[in-house]
Amino acid sequence: MARDRRPNNRKNTASAHIRESGTARGLRRVPAGDTMAAAVEAVPQREKRRREVQTRLFSLGQGMDTPLLAFILVLLCVGLVMLFSASYAYSYYHENGDSYFYIRRQGIFALAGTAAMLFVSTFDYHRFHRLAYPIYLVSVGLLLAVLLFGKVLKIAEIAPNEDDATRWINIGPVQFQPSEVAKFGLITVLAHYISQHIEEMGDPMRGVGVPLGLMLVCAGLVVVEPHLSGAIILGALGMILIFVGGAKVRHLLLWCGVLGGLGLLALLLLQAAKGGGEDSGGGYQMARVVGWLHPFDPPEGVDTWQIRQSLYSIGSGGLLGTGLGQSRQKYLWLPEPQNDFIFAIVCEELGMFGAILVILLFSLLIWRGVYISLHAKDKFGTLLGLGITFQVGLQAVLNICVVTNTIPNTGISLPFFSYGGTSLLMLLGEMGILLNISRSASVEKT
Amino acid sequence: MAKGTSQRISFRAVLLACIVLIGGFGMVTVSLFRWQVVHGEELTAQALEQSLQSTTISAMRGTIYDATGTKILAQSASVWTVVLEPNYIREDEELRRTISRGLAPILEMDEERIYEKTGEDSYFSYLKRQVETDVRDAINQFLTENEIESGVRLIPDYKRYYPYGTVASNVLGFTGYDNTGLDGLELYYDEELRGTAGRLVASKNAWGTDMPFEYEQYVGASDGNSLVLTIDETVQSILEKYLAEGIEKYKVKNGAVAIVMNVHTGAVVGLATHPNYDPNDPYTILDANMLQELQSLPEDQRDEAETNAWYKQWRNKAVSDTYYPGSVFKMVTGAMGLEEGVVTLESTFTCTGNKEVEGYPAGIDCWKEEGHGLEDFAAGIYNSCNPWMIHLGELLGAETFCKYREAFGMTEPTGIDLPGEAVNLYHSLEDMGPTELATEAFGQNFSITPVQMITAASAIANGGYMVQPHVVDRIVDPEGNIVKTTDTTPLRQVISQETAQTITSILQYNAAEGTATGGYVPGYRVCGKTGTSEKIAQHNEDPTKPMEYIASYCGYAPAEDPQYALLVYFDEPDGASNGGLTGGNAVAGPIFSKIMGEILPYLGVEARYTDEEFGNLDVAAPSVVGLTLDEAIAAIEESGLEYSVIGSEEGSTLVREQTPEVGTTLPKDGSVVLYTEGFSQEEAVTPVPDFSGMDLVNASYLAAINGLQISVSGSSSGLVSTQNIAVGQNVRIGTVIALTFVDNIETDTFVSLE
Repeated sequence: MARDRRPNNRKNTASAHIRESGTARGLRRVPAGDTMAAAVEAVPQREKRRREVQTRLFSLGQGMDTPLLAFILVLLCVGLVMLFSASYAYSYYHENGDSYFYIRRQGIFALAGTAAMLFVSTFDYHRFHRLAYPIYLVSVGLLLAVLLFGKVLKIAEIAPNEDDATRWINIGPVQFQPSEVAKFGLITVLAHYISQHIEEMGDPMRGVGVPLGLMLVCAGLVVVEPHLSGAIILGALGMILIFVGGAKVRHLLLWCGVLGGLGLLALLLLQAAKGGGEDSGGGYQMARVVGWLHPFDPPEGVDTWQIRQSLYSIGSGGLLGTGLGQSRQKYLWLPEPQNDFIFAIVCEELGMFGAILVILLFSLLIWRGVYISLHAKDKFGTLLGLGITFQVGLQAVLNICVVTNTIPNTGISLPFFSYGGTSLLMLLGEMGILLNISRSASVEKT
Repeated sequence: MAKGTSQRISFRAVLLACIVLIGGFGMVTVSLFRWQVVHGEELTAQALEQSLQSTTISAMRGTIYDATGTKILAQSASVWTVVLEPNYIREDEELRRTISRGLAPILEMDEERIYEKTGEDSYFSYLKRQVETDVRDAINQFLTENEIESGVRLIPDYKRYYPYGTVASNVLGFTGYDNTGLDGLELYYDEELRGTAGRLVASKNAWGTDMPFEYEQYVGASDGNSLVLTIDETVQSILEKYLAEGIEKYKVKNGAVAIVMNVHTGAVVGLATHPNYDPNDPYTILDANMLQELQSLPEDQRDEAETNAWYKQWRNKAVSDTYYPGSVFKMVTGAMGLEEGVVTLESTFTCTGNKEVEGYPAGIDCWKEEGHGLEDFAAGIYNSCNPWMIHLGELLGAETFCKYREAFGMTEPTGIDLPGEAVNLYHSLEDMGPTELATEAFGQNFSITPVQMITAASAIANGGYMVQPHVVDRIVDPEGNIVKTTDTTPLRQVISQETAQTITSILQYNAAEGTATGGYVPGYRVCGKTGTSEKIAQHNEDPTKPMEYIASYCGYAPAEDPQYALLVYFDEPDGASNGGLTGGNAVAGPIFSKIMGEILPYLGVEARYTDEEFGNLDVAAPSVVGLTLDEAIAAIEESGLEYSVIGSEEGSTLVREQTPEVGTTLPKDGSVVLYTEGFSQEEAVTPVPDFSGMDLVNASYLAAINGLQISVSGSSSGLVSTQNIAVGQNVRIGTVIALTFVDNIETDTFVSLE
């Protein structure tokens, strides 16, 4: 609809050409309102003749959603500042007096990531239709690889073992978590699958069973690592996409019931096979729950040092905070202040107001992501955008919930804030996809 | 349908977004409110508490001065404590080696031990405490040279020094590693001396090192106050010198006490006890006998025995030991009688050698078996007559006796400012039967501490006022301002001036002519009373061992205006090995005399000799060697001495040698032997005869026939107890042999009431 799109005012040859020809965008756009049915019918036929969006270097901003870009960049900047503040003491003591170790690396990755984001934002997301299964298969392959190298071959150079868990793959200087890749792989494949089977979502098998299966492969492999929080996010993302895609709630519940029952059974059998040892995974999770309930006076054997220090940090912040850089807790009291618990330092230094501002920034990002996704020109864009948005949203909510002891402690990093080069790179890449979606979405451009 | 799909997607996506945003972030906001606003302050406090570390800054302990205010008896000086911080170095094998190898010779410690300590999982481990500044400098140099920046720290501390070593050790006490007083004045006045430690509050990270915060708060230490004692180091040293001499001479087995008190103020001018120790090193056993006993024990009993030995040598017998005062107490009973008017100087009593007491039909013996016969009151005291005292006790009655006993401070600790004062035992009025009264009247069957005894004696000396015994004269702050001065106002008057003066004159006679002549001091009108206490309880415990005694002598001087009281007390003189001397007059008397003779001039009490005394004063031999005989004779006669000549008696012959040597003292009527040309060496020497047990006349005769001279000390009515040159040793004709005479009278009789 014409009112949805305001003609781009830029006197740019490429955009002028597109607008005047009235082709590419107009055709690919998913129309709202009356013409919806016709458009939906038209999509599969026209898809093969779809034309690439031409975006050139000097027209990077073309059609891109400025608020979204602004939220991303603001979050990234705030994240970097807070990372520097949170990490410099830790860095000083652990990196031989180099306070800039973490911020230097993160800064480089942030720059590279921003470049990558802008580049990806010019990369037509529809190509992921074709890339969906390959990416998914690569993800599964990486998940298998980490298990193979970590659990079977036990090659610590490739898959280091930390506390009996193998979550990382090292390839030369590059380190990353295959579960991070798997999140993107899962989002892509489900967006592709669901958008292809949008009419069959009412079917219990094709609408729920198959996508659930795709999700379970990833989540299952991540559980084996073991990396519970990663699996939870994968599971949640899968369910969200299936749900949003139109699956019937009762089918979803049914499948969950069946699979949950089976899973529980398998767990019990596994426990029995292991001999029900005291130090089995269940006891470990139980300790976390107990520690969550009693952070200050944990029963014997339950270590709540980290969450306790986190709450000391948060409490020390009060309403207005101790001031940027003035955290005391980052002086080795709070473990890993640059990582999962960076938000505690945000609370300490910026206070409740600062913390809520950061939460608002995340909320704005999520709101804008959802808004853009819903206005994407096709279902694939919608689902891909929602997947990426909810990934960020879920991680942010869960991380902050952990840090504030709202839920039991589990290792989830805070997007844009936590230290981690490759994951920041991936995050910004995903933001690039979201920006790319925004270029063709029927969102008011400013 | 398509429209439905899109709307459903929108609806569901918005629904989920709302759940995540409102639900998730809503919960988070609630949590933030809870932690930051509701519990904010308490969490802040807990966070601060864990990160603020306070370091104690030691305060310098106050100094202890003697009565002159110039001699320092105890002082703190800066030292350093060496601390390891193993967690900064334990990963570095090479550094650990370097440190242990470098520090071992500096600290005189085992290298392996240091190496082991560097590997501990700790941020703070004591390596060596209280090293001197030169050791600190050596360590700093070592650290600088090897560029070691962490792992070894030097913390400033203080160490206590006692410049006079063992002098007054049992009064001063000593301190522990943490500079707290453990005994003596150091313990009693610990709060004054200690001062207030300062604090440095600083932020620390979880590793315990400094955080770059401006939270540091420095509260400076305020140093401790100093004590100025009433104890005079000179007097104290004199006491200790003669106590040691007495212990050696009379083979005293269980220690000794000597106390000098200013009778008007209660100020303790000297308080010596034995065994003693060096407060610089309180854990070394000094007494040779104790050490020998300890070393003879099997290994497994040694630890406990060593601990007991420590307590024994740290013990201040003057306040912690109790004993039966014995005959010394008769001065107190006598004062009661006069004060109450139940007797006068004219009162008489006939001593038959035994006095029957109600409930004790066998009667109580006097030390003089045949009895003293008819005695007036004064004789009753200077004869130390037990029946007279029993009679006096009966005249007083139990109630009055108890009233005075309490008034004289014999029923509760004196409150002297020293720790560990014993609670003495006595019969209360209810338990006081006729036998108890009879025995207590002459000082047996109840126990007091030496300090209680000398305080009571001081009351008689000063005209009847009970004074507060004390050893600290004033407390002075680090700037020199007086914080507190001990109140020397008498506590109460227990007897009248007249009574006190009467007893004083009786005691003066006693020391000059009575039963206490062992303590006589020429030139000073000394008042004295002897006492011999049988350690009956100890004897009853193990009757196979011979009875042991406490020999004591208590007195004061000068009689016309008493200034200083002295109590000398020897615990278990070994009669079996010292010639049977166990009594107060024989054992404690001579030492009392020597101490008084030396401290009174020092304390400014002028000697006033009677003519007789003046005649007995010793003179120094003049130098005559090298003179002609005529010149020598003239010089000797000028000195008021006599002479004899061995060798040529020609007036112009030269004097080759003289005996006694130049400066040697000899009696006023003594003579100098002049050896002139042609004397023979054989003719000139003679072996020293054995004078022991002789009276003055026989000793003089024996000396004369051997061509020797004697100088007399002690009681001229007594018998020789010691001679300064051993029997059989060859000496020159004319040599002066110093003889000590004592009256060995056992004036105490113990009556067991069991």
